[in-house]
Amino acid sequence: MFTYTLRRLLLAIPTLLVISLVIFLLVDLAPGSPASQIPLTVPAEVRMRILEAMGANEPIHVRYLLWLKQFFVVEPLVWVDATFGTAFSEGMQRILSWQSRSPVFDVIVERLPQTLTVVGMAYVVGVLIALPIGIYSAYRQYSWFDQIGTFVAMVGFSVPTFFTGLVLILVFAVNLGWFPSIYNTSLRVTDWESFVAQVRQMVLPVAVLALYNASQISRYMRASMLDNLNQDYVRTARAKGLRERVVVLKHVLRNSMIPVVTVIALGIPTIFGGAIITEQVFRVNGLGALLIGAIQASDLPMVQTLTFIFAVLIVIFNLIADVLYGLLDPRIRYD
Amino acid sequence: MRLRTALMGACATAAMALPALAERGSDGNVNILYSQAVSILNPYLSSGTKDVEVSSLIIEPLAGFDEKGNLFPRLAAEIPTLENGGVSEDLTTITWKLKEGLLWSDGTPVTSADVVFSWQYCTHPEGGCAQAARYEGVQSVEAIDERTVKVTFSAPKPNPYSAFVGSTSPIIQKAQFQDCLGAAAATCTAQNFGPIGTGPFRVTEFKVNDVVQLEANPHYRDPEKPAFATVMVKGGGDAAGAARAVMETGEFDYAWNTQINPELQAQMKAGGKGQFVSAFGTLVERIEMNLTNPSPSLPEGERSTVKHPHPFLTDARVRKALSMAIDRNLLVEVGYGEAGRPTCNLVPAPEIYASDNTDCLTQDIEGAKALLEEAGFTPGPDGIRVNADGVRLSVLYQTSVNPVRQDFQALIKQWWNEIGVEVELKSIDPGVYFGGDPGSPDTFQKFYADVEMYANNFDGTDPEPYLAQYLCDKIPGPENQWQGENINRYCDPAYEALVRELAQTRDIAARAELVKRMNDMLTKESHVVVPLVDRGRLSAHSNTLGGVVLNVWDTELWNVQDWYRIK
Amino acid sequence: MPEAAAARRKLVEVRDLRMHFPIYAGLLRRRVGAVKAVDGVSFDIHEGETLGLVGESGCGKSTCGRALLRLYEPTSGSIRIDGREIATAGFDTLRTLRPIMQMVFQDPQASLNPRMTVGSIIGEPLDEHTRLSRREKQERIHELMDAVGLNRAFANRYPHEFSGGQRQSIGIARALALNPRFIVCDEPIAALDVSIQAQVVNLLEDLQARFGLTYLFISHDLSMVRHIADRVAVMDLGRIAELAPRDALYEAPLHPYSQALLSAVPEPDPNAETRRRRIILTGDVPSPANPPRGCNFSTRCPRVMPVCREVEPAFREVAPGHFTACHLHDPAISQTAGTAAAPEAKSTADTHVQQGA
Ligand SMILES: Nc1ncnc2c1ncn2[C@@H]1O[C@H](COP(=O)(O)OP(=O)(O)O)[C@@H](O)[C@H]1O
Ligand SMILES: [Mg+2]
Repeated sequence: MFTYTLRRLLLAIPTLLVISLVIFLLVDLAPGSPASQIPLTVPAEVRMRILEAMGANEPIHVRYLLWLKQFFVVEPLVWVDATFGTAFSEGMQRILSWQSRSPVFDVIVERLPQTLTVVGMAYVVGVLIALPIGIYSAYRQYSWFDQIGTFVAMVGFSVPTFFTGLVLILVFAVNLGWFPSIYNTSLRVTDWESFVAQVRQMVLPVAVLALYNASQISRYMRASMLDNLNQDYVRTARAKGLRERVVVLKHVLRNSMIPVVTVIALGIPTIFGGAIITEQVFRVNGLGALLIGAIQASDLPMVQTLTFIFAVLIVIFNLIADVLYGLLDPRIRYD
Repeated sequence: MRLRTALMGACATAAMALPALAERGSDGNVNILYSQAVSILNPYLSSGTKDVEVSSLIIEPLAGFDEKGNLFPRLAAEIPTLENGGVSEDLTTITWKLKEGLLWSDGTPVTSADVVFSWQYCTHPEGGCAQAARYEGVQSVEAIDERTVKVTFSAPKPNPYSAFVGSTSPIIQKAQFQDCLGAAAATCTAQNFGPIGTGPFRVTEFKVNDVVQLEANPHYRDPEKPAFATVMVKGGGDAAGAARAVMETGEFDYAWNTQINPELQAQMKAGGKGQFVSAFGTLVERIEMNLTNPSPSLPEGERSTVKHPHPFLTDARVRKALSMAIDRNLLVEVGYGEAGRPTCNLVPAPEIYASDNTDCLTQDIEGAKALLEEAGFTPGPDGIRVNADGVRLSVLYQTSVNPVRQDFQALIKQWWNEIGVEVELKSIDPGVYFGGDPGSPDTFQKFYADVEMYANNFDGTDPEPYLAQYLCDKIPGPENQWQGENINRYCDPAYEALVRELAQTRDIAARAELVKRMNDMLTKESHVVVPLVDRGRLSAHSNTLGGVVLNVWDTELWNVQDWYRIK
Repeated sequence: MPEAAAARRKLVEVRDLRMHFPIYAGLLRRRVGAVKAVDGVSFDIHEGETLGLVGESGCGKSTCGRALLRLYEPTSGSIRIDGREIATAGFDTLRTLRPIMQMVFQDPQASLNPRMTVGSIIGEPLDEHTRLSRREKQERIHELMDAVGLNRAFANRYPHEFSGGQRQSIGIARALALNPRFIVCDEPIAALDVSIQAQVVNLLEDLQARFGLTYLFISHDLSMVRHIADRVAVMDLGRIAELAPRDALYEAPLHPYSQALLSAVPEPDPNAETRRRRIILTGDVPSPANPPRGCNFSTRCPRVMPVCREVEPAFREVAPGHFTACHLHDPAISQTAGTAAAPEAKSTADTHVQQGA
């Protein structure tokens, strides 16, 4: 397993380099220019000088190599310096956002907490409600519970989040006034009151995303349970005279969890990707909103860095999912 | 219990009885929402309106514009004029005097050195200053004494109120920014995110493209202001959501630029928590006529250049007919509601500059048809007009992707079809259309279409540079990487003469006459520019927020120091 | 042998067992009918004997076996094992009864939980039903592995690491863990290589001898059943067509269905083999969801009589220990209509009788 993981990691390096080049070309060749953000009242010469100062008009290979150096050399050094108080990165140019002229990584680090709290929490909540629903739906297939679960999952999966978000805002923020419609990212949880405020402001965005996640995962859980419930080993377990709870939770669930766990692991990078729409609707301003804002403003360094980080996360979590599968399922052996 | 309520009531009445502007910071917190989030708090590094406006809470220029477009002193003791001797007779210098006892938010005094530095900062050749145009024509800025600066222009400047005037050219602190000149500007993240200023508030927390937290500046020059102790400026989302947060949920006190369709405006008003405020500036949605031939059959590099005049748009009658066929009232009703009004002017404001040109406001389909007949275009078998030389009235009409613009395109296409003009529509991603990439065929400057639509305005109150865009040597073309501003490829010696005259006229009434004259030449006389809608600014504020005066000539937050809570 | 078996005590008594699976259809998934997988079967199994249960695939053998052990909830009928009622026992009672009845499944791979080691698979019933210490449990697991011929060292391996025969041995060891008296073997060798089948059957016989086990041996392999069973029941579409001591059945099957089935079995004796006449059945195989009126075999029976399409034949003892459900052997009917029935059958059921290959 260890050599397998190591081999996969080594193989990932050239893959990621190619991905970085492809992303760079895609982002760069995509239509749009940072100049479109400059109002028409700004004269042409001034525009040119603004772009020059950004480095936006350098040739593409120069910019790509510079980005590679900044991403793989400068930023890690900055991190080392920050951790150990050294000064390796002094005088080196970090990756700067064209919008804010500030280091891209600082912005990402600033955004990470709110994305993880809201989107991450939604994922956790989604998984936590999906699993029991999936399990019970499968156990009582075609019961009322299952039928309602199927319907809700279909709705949650097919109705876009901007719509559910808007509906929730109209009902719970506008009409009932129970929850805020706008997320306050500078709220600090220091006491009970601020904790309650934090929970209240998380309710709507988390609900929207959790519904979406739960509908997906509960389907996987249900399907996987159904696959296993009809297996002979379940009959064996019953024949052993085990309690029904043990049969379902120990035998069936454990086996059904294998594919579900990998699906859950594969979904984790999407947490870091943020929830573009939901973040936008509730102004959570996490990584998703950062990405979409950067795309709209043609902030190439930001878009490039974010998408590349997502690519790395996807590669890593694919590996994690594979390794988990190997750990959970004794039938699978690597090497 | 009852006693306590009574006591509290008494306290509340007592509090209300006190003068409304009692004390700095007595009104707690105010929440402001910008649907475009703030990226940076240094207007010299960003031309984005949202960045400039929110920065204006912190840093200020010497003088600003009020809601009527009149100049008023901010850091300056008074506005220098010819009369008070602040502006030299030959119009080549202007001398500003700072107010006495001004302090930065860190408690250090504001001096003329800071003003000089601000000029140096923005005009550094490697800095890429976004507001460099504010300092155009400035030869030098000298500190005469601690509180006096003299700005010298390289040529007589009838309008000397450009440098250090308005929120786009604020004074920054020399001590804070002196290591940030030129190429170093971008590395000064801490400075760009937390400038030390003289404005009513100072930054306590800044999250890029998300939120700015501010507190009252303890060294603000008016000891009683601002009434609010803290400000939160949240960013992101869309205009409709921003309007909702003020008008329907009441979570926010002020929402910037809540440009939404008229139907939604009405619906939100019913929420009862706030109100919309609108004001009109110089932003005009217009159709530009291409006087050169954009035909794809021409070799690349010659399309839409002066080498090839347009086959039929060079005929003023055709242009006029196209303008006459448009019902501008309907366009406003469909697209803007309260936030727009029909206009025939390129310069719709300030009032003294606005021409009384209203001929275009009534649609005249029959008149347009007659005019086309007169120009020799008669309907062909398919209903599209053709002239004797076989020139067909067929136009490609481009604009950016935007729901209102697509509505406009559809309506106008219908009217033009009615008068026998064939219309092909094209909508381009705004990032490309306004991106200015010389390699792209789809920029508005390249104008590979017969007519195109967008909105433009001018900075401040002086239309001179705006009208000077229509000079022959500002025509975009391959020789200048398509960077000129004379989009229509308009070239008229009579107009050029007026531009020169305006540059030398300092009497305001005479200037106004010239501006109107030039406006009329471009619009009702030639119909090279076909104005459609004078687009106002629509913002929303809650019913409990007092003191809001919408200003389109400067930052919308221009008088935030006077805002207060209505109790 | 049959006489000896008859003398023994009845361990399993099944009376009129029915197992109907509901069919749901439509938008609201309403119940529209039932698959009558087992539709009124009755038989006894004596202590220490092996009852073979044969029949075509889909005739309800597995369902019958599973229902016997209450792995399904039977629709009606009674099942008594060792004098205790199984069919209606409450869940807790049932759990305490589990140790005496066990099952060996057809697919050894599918019947073993892939995420459990062999040791825990075999040991799990011990956790559930005994209070053995860890040591004792370990000892018992090893004992069982020895009994089925598995290397003790493999206790920590997972099922997928074994061959098919070994896996079936694991399944058998697991079934033996609680000292059962009755084991349903549901086609225990059908999924195995021919070379291994004999080993497993020998193991089963061996264990039967050692522990005095009683088997219900389900199979569609008639030769194997002939080898292992003392008595044999022939099942057709949810019902038992014929039940008789092994030799009686193989030598002189009474029910036309049994005759047809047995005609396909190769004879070990070459002389007999050349004489064997294979009966090929034609006509529709009815669906258990919609069985025909009267006799289930009436659509395919070469000797069908009008009465067969009307009246369901009773399951009666026609010779000592030899039961069949066929109107041909109903004295009341065969006397009046028996002679006329045969020729008519030929024309209506379009039956071929041909020389065996
Ligand atoms: N769980 C079930 N639900 C519905 N029908 C079933 C179920 N199990 C078996 N059946 C049906 O019952 C009939 C008998 O099946 P089975 O007992 O498996 O036959 P055999 O083991 O003799 O091949 C078949 O028609 C089968 O489709
Ligand atoms: Mg079967």
